[in-house]
Amino acid sequence: MFTLPAWLLILALFAVPIAVGVYLSTRNATIGAFSPPRSVGFENYRRDVANATFREAVRTTLVIAILGLTMQLPIGVGLGVLLHRNLRGTRLFRSVLLLPMLLTPVAIGLMWRFILDTDLGVANWFLSKVGSSGFDWFGDRHAAVASIVLVDSWQSIPFVMLLTIAGLAGLPTEPFEAAVVDGAGPLRIFVSLTLPMLRRVLLVILLIRLIDVLKLFDVIFILTRGGPGTATQTVGLLNYNTGFNFLQTSRAAAIGVAVTILTIPLFLVWRRASRSEP
Amino acid sequence: MSRTSRTRRWTSTAAAALLVVVGLTACGSDSKDTTAATEAPASTETTVAAAAAAETTVAAASETTAAAVTETTAAAASGDQKAGSNGEINVFLIPSPSSTAIQSFIPAFEKKTGIKVNFSETPYGEAHQKQLLSYQQKSGAYDVAQFDNTFLAAFGAAKAMAPLDDYLKGSSEYDISDFSPGQQDYGKYNGATYGLTLSTEPMIQWYRTDLYTELGLKPATTWDEYLANAQAVKKSGKADGAIVGFGPGVSWWWMTLVWSFGGKLYDENLNPTVNTPEALKATKYLKSLLDVAPKGAISTNGDDVTAKFVSTDIGSMIQYSGYYGFMLDPKTNKNLGKIETAKMPSGGTDITHLAGWNIGIPDDSKNKDKAWQFLEFVLGKSNAKAFLKSGAAAIGRTSIITDADLLKEQPYLATLDIPSSSRVERYPQLKVWPEMDKTIVDAITNVLTGKDDPQKGLDSLNEKLKPILASEKS
Repeated sequence: MFTLPAWLLILALFAVPIAVGVYLSTRNATIGAFSPPRSVGFENYRRDVANATFREAVRTTLVIAILGLTMQLPIGVGLGVLLHRNLRGTRLFRSVLLLPMLLTPVAIGLMWRFILDTDLGVANWFLSKVGSSGFDWFGDRHAAVASIVLVDSWQSIPFVMLLTIAGLAGLPTEPFEAAVVDGAGPLRIFVSLTLPMLRRVLLVILLIRLIDVLKLFDVIFILTRGGPGTATQTVGLLNYNTGFNFLQTSRAAAIGVAVTILTIPLFLVWRRASRSEP
Repeated sequence: MSRTSRTRRWTSTAAAALLVVVGLTACGSDSKDTTAATEAPASTETTVAAAAAAETTVAAASETTAAAVTETTAAAASGDQKAGSNGEINVFLIPSPSSTAIQSFIPAFEKKTGIKVNFSETPYGEAHQKQLLSYQQKSGAYDVAQFDNTFLAAFGAAKAMAPLDDYLKGSSEYDISDFSPGQQDYGKYNGATYGLTLSTEPMIQWYRTDLYTELGLKPATTWDEYLANAQAVKKSGKADGAIVGFGPGVSWWWMTLVWSFGGKLYDENLNPTVNTPEALKATKYLKSLLDVAPKGAISTNGDDVTAKFVSTDIGSMIQYSGYYGFMLDPKTNKNLGKIETAKMPSGGTDITHLAGWNIGIPDDSKNKDKAWQFLEFVLGKSNAKAFLKSGAAAIGRTSIITDADLLKEQPYLATLDIPSSSRVERYPQLKVWPEMDKTIVDAITNVLTGKDDPQKGLDSLNEKLKPILASEKS
């Protein structure tokens, strides 16, 4: 009885929209149509999910996610461990390093778009000062994906760092003191003690970041709009294009439902990781 | 807390605050322009141009405009009326110099007619979706609405806008015969006029007079000459050769070339025809232009093309005329006074790729006659000069583009004179155009980046367009 308001809220905010989304995905509703939509069964799934464009978008999303995590986890954890030691200047660095996390993704996208502009950007200007002819940062698939990973990492590393610091603060000190007494060096302590004891926190970070990257939209929209061609079109961008550019509401709903289903295993792993004992 | 610790905390807090302020200020100052840059309206008189024109043309001409509007109104009006005494209308606008110009006419219109005008501006990215939702609900929320010509088909097919033909027939003030035949059809869908022309923006040739003079070049009349000019500029080492949009809006330039080389995107039965020899020639030509373009050209959208042309050294560009206001801004145009315009080169078929805004009366409007009064007042012949001088992108009325005084002030107006021999092409008037557009962009980018061979890429594109065009029929 006491949980009824919470259940009603969940129903209103999550269950109803998802149910409507599933229902919509089996219709032929468009923003431009002035006749009532009719049922088309699984036609939208056949047309927009079981095709090469969707598969490519999923692949691009995963590539960006994997490359991003490969960059963000080591750097974020490394910075977290460093800042946890309370060395001189730690507070200043911590404040400065958290700044990217405070900015909105759209502002970050705009800022980096200017920085990385091939002709007018400050990145290539700096490179020209050291004798390089610079890069075409968004000119081909590899460069554009790398640029997106770079920008996403710039914003996300502070998040990884912050959770790592929080995780480290919660660890007991005794095992570390004992290791020092036993003569273990910093690297040995990090590999044999810190990392194993942080594994639950790291798993949570990994899953949260993975879910974040799966829904990454704004930065890519501003930086490349999914281009060149479809080189950086993630599932989020594909969904946006279908729904808001092509005005195909039902087809976009089908893509949305498919993406939701794809993320369910991640959610289940995250839930399990959150519940398990350290 | 120790003094050292307090000092450290203050230092770190102050540094953080400073960085946030600097960061946010930088983002804030850039965001206005670039938001526009990320959007890709067909009416190229975008918000970027809005910024430029608003700060330059409008500022420079505001006094003239005010005087002109007042003068016109004073002559026409029999007596001042209180705004609202004869009802009111709601006007839906999209941020642009045209929208700003329309707003500048509202006080005079209210004074003349007693009709109060409420207006709202909605950014391009959401404007048409918002309009469609409003029209679906038949709420009668808007009496006048600005829209991009790319949405004319969607609006026309849904009968979301009211046909204006009866109004046009009886209006000597608007005088549709003052437009060339091709331009008279600009707001037509399936034979009915759903929108008046709010801006006339043909794709034209822009070139750097200093570079062309130094190298002894003349504006090109054919695409072969255009490429030769670009190669000469590039070879000289003084600048990059030429720029067009090779990025998210590449379809605009690609289809222009296809038309110009004699091709079509689809036939009468809506079968795609994008792998013909003409389309192949156009595609290969576009790729050859990439060789003489600046390094980052492959990712440039419509606004980037202009931004790079005015802020770096590039011999020429092919771009819509609606960007003229941008050229007048000394803050953004480092090449001020060194840029001139000419007709777009020809590839054998004389075509004019026309883009620009439309404005019309939603079918669910409950004040259609008042709405027409407003349109007639703002866009009619009497106020045509004042409208142009208020900073809007030009509307291609014959009386405007042949006016000697105006031509002296804005020489590019000559390029809006579209001869009847020139076939006017505009964005395909199809409901499925947005999806078709994206499919074309993806395929052409693959060709430009070398991922696909031109013929193979076009064959694949042709196949992809079949189901999209088929759904237009359903």
